[in-house]
Amino acid sequence: MAGVMGSFYLGWRYLRHHPGKTTILISSITLIAYLPVGLSMLVDEGAQSLRARAAATPLLLGARGSPVELTLNSLYFSTDTPALTHYAALDAIEPARAQAIPLYVRHQARRHPIVGTSLDYLDYRALTLAQGRGFAVLGEAVLGAQVATALDVGVGDSVVSSPETVFDLAGVYPLKMPVVGVLAPGYSQDDRAIFVDVKTAWVIQGLGHGHQDLARPESAAAVLKKEGDRIVANAALVQYNEITADNVDSFHFHGDRGGNPLTAILPAPVDDKARVLIQGRYQSHPQLQVLQPRAVMDELLATVFAVQRYVLVAMAMVGTATAAVVLLVFLLSLRARRAEMETMSRLGGSSAAIGSLMLAEMVIVLLSSVLLAALLSAATLTWGGPLLQAVVMN
Amino acid sequence: MRKLLAITLLLLGACGQQDSGSGNTSAEGPAGEGVAVIYTVNYPLAWMARTLAGDAARVIFPAPAGEDPAFWQPDTATLLQFQQADLVLLNGANYARWVAGVSLPASRLLDTSAAYRDQLLAVEAAPVHSHGPGGEHSHGDLAFTTWLDLELARGQLQAVAAALQQLLPGEAGAIAQRRDILDGELGALDARLVALGRQLAGAPLLYSHPVYQYLQRRYQLNGRALHWEPDQFPEEAHWSELESLLQTHPARLMLWEAAPGPEVTERLAALGVTVVVFAPMANRPGQGDFKTGMEANIAALEAAAVTAAPPQSAGG
Repeated sequence: MAGVMGSFYLGWRYLRHHPGKTTILISSITLIAYLPVGLSMLVDEGAQSLRARAAATPLLLGARGSPVELTLNSLYFSTDTPALTHYAALDAIEPARAQAIPLYVRHQARRHPIVGTSLDYLDYRALTLAQGRGFAVLGEAVLGAQVATALDVGVGDSVVSSPETVFDLAGVYPLKMPVVGVLAPGYSQDDRAIFVDVKTAWVIQGLGHGHQDLARPESAAAVLKKEGDRIVANAALVQYNEITADNVDSFHFHGDRGGNPLTAILPAPVDDKARVLIQGRYQSHPQLQVLQPRAVMDELLATVFAVQRYVLVAMAMVGTATAAVVLLVFLLSLRARRAEMETMSRLGGSSAAIGSLMLAEMVIVLLSSVLLAALLSAATLTWGGPLLQAVVMN
Repeated sequence: MRKLLAITLLLLGACGQQDSGSGNTSAEGPAGEGVAVIYTVNYPLAWMARTLAGDAARVIFPAPAGEDPAFWQPDTATLLQFQQADLVLLNGANYARWVAGVSLPASRLLDTSAAYRDQLLAVEAAPVHSHGPGGEHSHGDLAFTTWLDLELARGQLQAVAAALQQLLPGEAGAIAQRRDILDGELGALDARLVALGRQLAGAPLLYSHPVYQYLQRRYQLNGRALHWEPDQFPEEAHWSELESLLQTHPARLMLWEAAPGPEVTERLAALGVTVVVFAPMANRPGQGDFKTGMEANIAALEAAAVTAAPPQSAGG
């Protein structure tokens, strides 16, 4: 026993004496062990999270087009806007069968998606408020937890919508929206979104707006021409870019509400029968498609897992090559240390003792690498997700 | 490839998340936890809901007495209470414009006139105007005093009853019974007004305000609307306009939302016009309820109609 301990002691002292070589060896073996495990953990955890959100969304209704785009935009607020549907499609869903929640995810405020929806969405996703209250008046916004932190804004501050394109000088005006609430962290995409009433999203789009009453005498400067009951305004017409208690009454929408756009509708069926009936109704609808997000995500993730398998095979090959190099390093090291071993032999060291010394060095390196890989895996499990999330966000 | 990259980033970004999926308010009915709360935007709907639900729900009509609920604007605190309600009864026809500018949970809103949207009347259109790329448009609106057509009011009653039965399934039978009784009472009032319309036989009438559009259409009245306020003495220009109007529209009755001052009544009498108070009942009455208020309206008009109706031709 004392001999084994002695071998480990001498091995330890040797490795400490050659820190460069030891570090390279331990790092190489650690990475070989950690990378495939860590990647699998990240992908599995991500897939679980994506599947959980998809599973919590029984149905998704939207315009015919790419199911993937519709799902990614509606569940994860991706920037690609799917084909648009209209509010009339929401009105067509019988309340007795499903609660229908509108979604209009098209605009952004400082790179955070603005989700136009109804108050029902907060209940649907079981989101709770950490500060303030839900949106009540046109123009008000509720922030996801991460948005509030990232923008350093809270209740009483405001956020401004971003123009769709930088060079759209003739486009809609940015809308300044007072923040009336901040959501508690939900550890989902909702943390990174800004929630407004769908009507506010339409105002951002320019479908609704507020301006001076052109029929009033004080608006004369803004009138280009007046022919009977027809008034044409000039560029001096003041359109409001902030909705306040004083001007909220002047905000109006042109045309029928049913014709206003939505990116998707979230139907929450009252029971399985209602779900099946809704699916049947839209199965062969010429303009609309109804999706089960879980099925869409499963299909997507199958593709991702296929890619992951290729990556793992590549890693295995790289790992084998690295292991071979490590082995070579050990063997070369033995040759380089021949004189050292002869000296130990002359001092009375047996071949077994010298062999066990070499073995102890290898065991110390391997154990250190495995320990480090385990620590990295544990860290990945704990912090990897949020860290990568932050990287993706920024 | 771009999509795959987006998915992968999304996948990575999703890592580590624990998805959560996993003034003067009029309130009637019992208070307390577990009792359904119903908010309404006008008094007729509050009356219907209260009568139908009985003690099974708390019906709240928050507009202060004396204010016109159509133009009243709730404060944020009241708005938040609307958001918490189990059911919000809307009149439809763009009544209570504030509804269009606020966020209410769509799943708990009921537009009680949705079933007869095609029967709603447009009011005189506002000027057409254009600015920017949106093209020409008008901010014209709909006439909203729908319940003065008691046939439409019966439609609203059916909608309210159906919503209450869904909200209070245990009370569905009782609600159906009350609905039938109330429907019969509204039907009887409607029949009296139909008879009154026949009696008036297109005799010219005046309205102090343009709120009687549905009454006029349903009961075939021949009225012209002014913009006179009961608590204000009209300017001389308004009297001149009235005198001119009487030349072409020789009305002998003028329907008022509330009784005008005695000076106005006397001056109208001098012009041969009798004041008849026909309250639209949009807000809660000082005494009685919607039914007794409408009975009083009809009785007043019946009494006055004798003087306004054209003489019956001899030998019928």
